[in-house]
Amino acid sequence: MARVKNENTKKVKVTWKEMKKQSFLMIVSFFIVVYGIIFYYWPLTGWLMAFENYKPKKGIFGSKFVGLDKFKFLFEDAVFIKVIRNTFAMGVINLVSTTIMAVLFAIILNEVRKTWLKKPIQTISYLPHFLSWIVVTGILHDSLSATGIVNDLLLKFGIIKQAINFFAFPKYFWPIVAFAQCWKETGWNAIIYLAAITAIDPALYEAASIDGADRLQKIRYITLPGIKPTFLILLLMNVGNVLNAGFEVQYLLGNGLVQSVSQTIDIYVLKWGISQNDYSLGTAAGLFKSAVSILLIVIANAIAKRYSEQRLF
Amino acid sequence: MRFKKITALLLGTAMIASMLAGCGGNAADTGAPAADAGATEAAPAADAGDAGDDGAAASGDVKEFTMFITMPGSEINDDNEIAQMIADKWGVKVKETWLTGQTASEATGTLIAGGEYPDFIDSDEMNLLVDADALIPLDDYIDQYPEFRDLWFTPEEWDKFRQPDGHIYWINPFGNTLGETKQTTHNDEAFWIQVRVLEWAGYPKIETMDQYFDLLESYIAENPTMDDGTENMAYTILCEDWRYFCLENAGQFLAGYPNDGSVIVDKTDMTIKDYNTSEDTIAYFKKLNEEYNKGFVDPESFTQTYDEYIAKLSTGRVLGMVDQWWDFAYTVNDSFKQSGLDQKGCNYVPLGLTTKEGMENRWHTYDDTVNQASGIAITTDCEDPDAAFKFLVDCAMDQELHDLRFWGVEGVDYNVDDEGLFYRTDEQRQNWADTSYQAAHRCQYSYFPQWHGTSRDGKNANKPEEQPSEFMNDMAAPLKNCFDAYGVTTYPQMIGSVVETNGPWFPMYSYSNNFTTETPGGVAWAKMGEVKHEWLPKVVMAKDFDKGWADYMEAYNACKPEDFLAEMQEILDGFK
Repeated sequence: MARVKNENTKKVKVTWKEMKKQSFLMIVSFFIVVYGIIFYYWPLTGWLMAFENYKPKKGIFGSKFVGLDKFKFLFEDAVFIKVIRNTFAMGVINLVSTTIMAVLFAIILNEVRKTWLKKPIQTISYLPHFLSWIVVTGILHDSLSATGIVNDLLLKFGIIKQAINFFAFPKYFWPIVAFAQCWKETGWNAIIYLAAITAIDPALYEAASIDGADRLQKIRYITLPGIKPTFLILLLMNVGNVLNAGFEVQYLLGNGLVQSVSQTIDIYVLKWGISQNDYSLGTAAGLFKSAVSILLIVIANAIAKRYSEQRLF
Repeated sequence: MRFKKITALLLGTAMIASMLAGCGGNAADTGAPAADAGATEAAPAADAGDAGDDGAAASGDVKEFTMFITMPGSEINDDNEIAQMIADKWGVKVKETWLTGQTASEATGTLIAGGEYPDFIDSDEMNLLVDADALIPLDDYIDQYPEFRDLWFTPEEWDKFRQPDGHIYWINPFGNTLGETKQTTHNDEAFWIQVRVLEWAGYPKIETMDQYFDLLESYIAENPTMDDGTENMAYTILCEDWRYFCLENAGQFLAGYPNDGSVIVDKTDMTIKDYNTSEDTIAYFKKLNEEYNKGFVDPESFTQTYDEYIAKLSTGRVLGMVDQWWDFAYTVNDSFKQSGLDQKGCNYVPLGLTTKEGMENRWHTYDDTVNQASGIAITTDCEDPDAAFKFLVDCAMDQELHDLRFWGVEGVDYNVDDEGLFYRTDEQRQNWADTSYQAAHRCQYSYFPQWHGTSRDGKNANKPEEQPSEFMNDMAAPLKNCFDAYGVTTYPQMIGSVVETNGPWFPMYSYSNNFTTETPGGVAWAKMGEVKHEWLPKVVMAKDFDKGWADYMEAYNACKPEDFLAEMQEILDGFK
């Protein structure tokens, strides 16, 4: 007992004896460190490509160093500026809409009292999460086509006179993507909120009932504050992901007509890096994205630290 | 890395060293004994390098090669009958994989980034592969087969394939004619129209775009639906990825120029002209815009995928479009034959439209087009380039193999009459067009060298569709009536292009296709493509055409097209 306490409070001296004692832990962590280096740090040497005129033939260490030329090209390219805007816009729209939908859904589902109804609904709601985007975009493409169900319904109810070709207008693109995200992820994201709600002490609800609170008041004063920490932590983690606004959806749903709003940084990287074979430019764009993401998460963390007790690091 | 502790760094280096060693060891292992070759048939294109070798060792004399083609296509079954016959006789089996879901350049870029290649490759981005040292020079191999060398290309043509380093890395397998030409199809771009429309109008002479659309409009007015109630659609445009040529380049043809693709070459003073901004192109888009706003252009034109487009054409409801024959005809005509729509006049015939009446048109290319921008190549991952190249030569030089690929098996897929002419029964033709039969039986190795024209027996055509008797028998009645009405017997006659030889620079697109972002002209070319992809559809859909065109021009000029044109002019100057 005493020894355990000792270990927890005092810094253990690194000696051969101590290392032998912890040999199992050492071996296990060794593999994790190795894994981290291979898969997280070693690939980063590829970032060097952003500062040179990379040619596959010459390799990373043989290509010509060009400094910030590639970044200069990037920021002089009007398309790239638009691409940043698209990525940000879709990232924020997706984050806000999926979060709101997930919270709403979790709360509503929690209010369903009958288990035989609740369980199937929950299961069904998160099934779309397991569909690949190619399937989801296929469904979207069909249902939003001129002869698809959406146009059929709108026509039947007389809301529109002529079928709308949804994918031909830039103004519909972001909403369609946000809708797709919500449709696919709401059920899945709600799971964690549902778990958070279950963790709220039932005594609070009982007390509130005794005090005469109705359902809405209980949601307002008990459920919502109860899931606030979860909500904030998830939000924080996702802020760093805002620039990962997506690749598959935009890539699969986009076309020439809407490319000014559909292209994200990832697509830009693919287009210039892989298709045009300018790996350096692609890397530069990717590097820029990573830098901004890190910045975002640091800022978000600082804000969270200041205004509440929640933070990531 | 700098922030990591020194120990971590040391650890890292040690580990990386071991990792590299591990990789090397692995490669050696798979290269040598080939014990587990059973799985190679299913091997994906990515680890193709090893697969071919393994397979060959396992199945005795048969060498198995892999091939990736940056075009969509249908894979044939592993136990395909003709593929097996070829393997038995010529000792080579090629597992072809095709483009799925990516663009050609993405697929090529991914291969290069991964650094592992199939044995054979045919890509639209050959220069990238050369840049990455992925291809083996073929010069020595070509010289080993002088007969092939002299027959396949002239020395000048071979020279066109030489890269800046003086080597030849790929061989274009298409567009070569052996013996007397038997050209029956118009294997080029055109405004296509269904024969039922022409029949309904009493086979009028259609020379301009205005006449073309007038005809489509009046046909739709009187026949809004097909017999089975499906709504007729006047005109659709394919606009997906690189296939947007269906929208983009008709301007050059309407002005009476041949398919140089990316620019117009004015032969009178040997200058490069930009058709994107020419009057004929403006007139063309103005007409499309007018028809779009009248509702005669398919509103889904600019959002449909290639598959959706082919499915749409296959229903027979689309009256007309601009396309290349090879881009739609094989699939669509086969499906018309299966569904019987060819008997209802749904087949397409080409029209050689121009801006004004009485102009010469050059939609059809008579001589062989040697596109030196792409072709079949052997990669550095190929373990047995000698055998690979020998098979490539066999494909071109062995008539028996050629017949097997394109005619099939004698007595099964075709019969021979007393005079030695090949012919097919209706059932054989139906089979040949049936997709499941194709997968199980037919093996064309369609991106290996092949001939048009006359077979070495001096009688038959190298390809069934070019056999005059076969071509006539294969035609459905409405199509035949149409040909008769216009007094023609082949598609090229139908389109009636001027017969002339193109300059040695033709086609210019084979140069621009190989532009990279290394040069300002290459950057301009890439950006122009982006802008046109977005703005051409917008121009067609614009409520006010003039404003739409002005906006487009603003975006277009921002790409500095002059850089691109200057580089093209430089290339053309080389031919002066």
